[in-house]
Amino acid sequence: MATLEVKDLHVEVKEEKDQTREILKGVNLTMKTGEIHAIMGPNGTGKSTLAQTIMGNSAYHVTQGDILLNGDSILGMPVDERARKGLFLGMQYPAEIKGVTNAEFLRAAINARRPEDDQISVMAFLKELDKNLELLDMSKEMTERYLNEGFSGGEKKRNEILQLLMIKPSFALLDEIDSGLDIDALQVVSKGVNSMRGDDFGSLIITHYQRLLNYIVPDVVHVMMDGQIVKSGDADLAKKLEKEGYAGLRDELGLHVNLVDDNR
Amino acid sequence: MISAVQDYEAIKTAVKTAADAHGEPDWFVQRRLDAVDAMQELALPEVKRYDFHRWPLMDNTDLNFRKSDTSLANDLPRSKGQIRFVQVGQTTVAVNVPTELSKQGVILTDIFSAFRDYPELTQKYFMTKVTKFNENKLTAYQQAFLNSGVFLYVPKGVEIKQPIEVYLIQDSTVKQAMVSHVLIIADEGSQFSFIQHLNTKGDVDNAAHCMVEVMSQPDSHVHFSSVDELGKNTYSFLHRRAHLSENARFDWAVGIVNEQNTLGDITSELVGEGSHSESKVIAVTTGKQSNGINNRVVNIGKHTTANISQRGVLLEKSELIFNGIGNIIHGASGANAEQENRVLMMSDQAHGDANPILLIDENDVIAGHAASVGQVDENQMYYLMSRGIDKELAQRLVIRGFLGPVLEEIPLPEVRQEMIDVIERKIEDGQHFKQSNE
Repeated sequence: MATLEVKDLHVEVKEEKDQTREILKGVNLTMKTGEIHAIMGPNGTGKSTLAQTIMGNSAYHVTQGDILLNGDSILGMPVDERARKGLFLGMQYPAEIKGVTNAEFLRAAINARRPEDDQISVMAFLKELDKNLELLDMSKEMTERYLNEGFSGGEKKRNEILQLLMIKPSFALLDEIDSGLDIDALQVVSKGVNSMRGDDFGSLIITHYQRLLNYIVPDVVHVMMDGQIVKSGDADLAKKLEKEGYAGLRDELGLHVNLVDDNR
Repeated sequence: MISAVQDYEAIKTAVKTAADAHGEPDWFVQRRLDAVDAMQELALPEVKRYDFHRWPLMDNTDLNFRKSDTSLANDLPRSKGQIRFVQVGQTTVAVNVPTELSKQGVILTDIFSAFRDYPELTQKYFMTKVTKFNENKLTAYQQAFLNSGVFLYVPKGVEIKQPIEVYLIQDSTVKQAMVSHVLIIADEGSQFSFIQHLNTKGDVDNAAHCMVEVMSQPDSHVHFSSVDELGKNTYSFLHRRAHLSENARFDWAVGIVNEQNTLGDITSELVGEGSHSESKVIAVTTGKQSNGINNRVVNIGKHTTANISQRGVLLEKSELIFNGIGNIIHGASGANAEQENRVLMMSDQAHGDANPILLIDENDVIAGHAASVGQVDENQMYYLMSRGIDKELAQRLVIRGFLGPVLEEIPLPEVRQEMIDVIERKIEDGQHFKQSNE
């Protein structure tokens, strides 16, 4: 069993004119493999920042607190090392890279976490690839295309999940993996994530909408507002939010948080 | 360097003796002597924002003919019946032209045999029409001291499906400049692709002058690619030019991956109405090397189309200047010339520039340009590394992504793959050098 702990995490970003802005204001979160956690919350509240900071995006600066993977701090580790230790971030806006095929990229990613003298064989790779393509209802042709190049929004999201299935991380942070998906694509993506469920896999799913959580039923739901987790509960919490909105919860908790991200 | 007049007289005598002993036809010996004369007056060619005046390009003024060790060509990929020409130094190692092509009149032979056996073609086209010998000091040097090369003639209407592969290997096991010439005549309506590979064996300091002249007759369709991998002790001048007649199509795909300083001059002259040229160049520089590359298209005929696309990658302390020159001559109405020049800086100690230079003397044209000098895309790096790929491999993949738009338009998959392999090998060397110095 692996654990991922976020302790009193404070994160700021640089803005213009050397100004900084604090986005995370003391986040605490513990998750284990075998669990699916969801983070919900209004726009601009720090959900993506949390995912990016865990992955190690250099745009986000940790000013206080720690992130521990299996008890060891990963704050000093570069992104690639964190990934090889078992973290995965399904991105909202995956980069496009012309000239590098999807298949080649997938092999490089798989081989990156294997020793030099034990790289995956072509046969084993293709077998795994075919299996996952079928699960995600993707054509083989997608893997010969350049990485995300000219992919539609839905194709990109599927491709993120394909990578998840091929790389098999311990923890997957999925950042708005449902945005821009129609209902069919949403089902396919959910099927992919659900197929990963098991004792060796944990996931932190970031979403605005409860809809995704009908397909990927979480064990724990956290609500984030203004850089902090303000409430945690089970799957019913998401349903309640869907009904009452974030404002209802805010008022119930007596928080003074502005919910319109345009006015932040 | 040669300076005084008496030096020139002595050189002429020596050149004549060597050329006669080499059995060259009189007309060519005379051209050599004319070129030595011309050298005295001519200046070096001009490359905007680039200085190469102190390079040792013309130190060697001996005309020598010697046999090279043909085993230097032993590590070439095994021939599987390709149309192929291999030359090591001045020694032709292999020529393979299928009989049916020879029967159709296709000629592929070394340049000196061509001077003797096909003077009606070589005398007419060697440095007379596509490039004139007296354009500058380097072109004159080329004609005066020519010591190797290849001649290709593809007759009217002949279509060759297989690419023609030419390997020119500089023999730097001895002190001897490589002064090599590729003369290609694509007769009316002919169609073929030509792949040139430049390499160096040995590490003696030598210059390499590698000239290509292509005469594209009306309605011909030619694709020229070159993978340039000259060695670390070779200063090179790569002069390549095509002359396009009516409705000819001629494309360049050039990968300049030499290890030492290189002056590149690649030109398409669109003389005939309706002709079309795509000029694609990739360059990678590492260490302290410096490359200055002119990529020039000249629209002369009406309704001509000429596009330039160049991408360069700089590592370590290297320098790379790309000049994209679009020249539209008065009268070339309906001409179309677009260019894109981009360089990617992988090091803050490198110096790169991408200069679009438009010289337009006609109103009824479409011309445009884009240029950029950029850093590696951090977003792409982050994405790749977030999948566990280490920084060096991620950089190489991002570089390939940057070069992708040029690479993917190379029509021959084997050339594209070779180009990718050569480029990545060089980048990897540059990355390791950087690490060991950190």
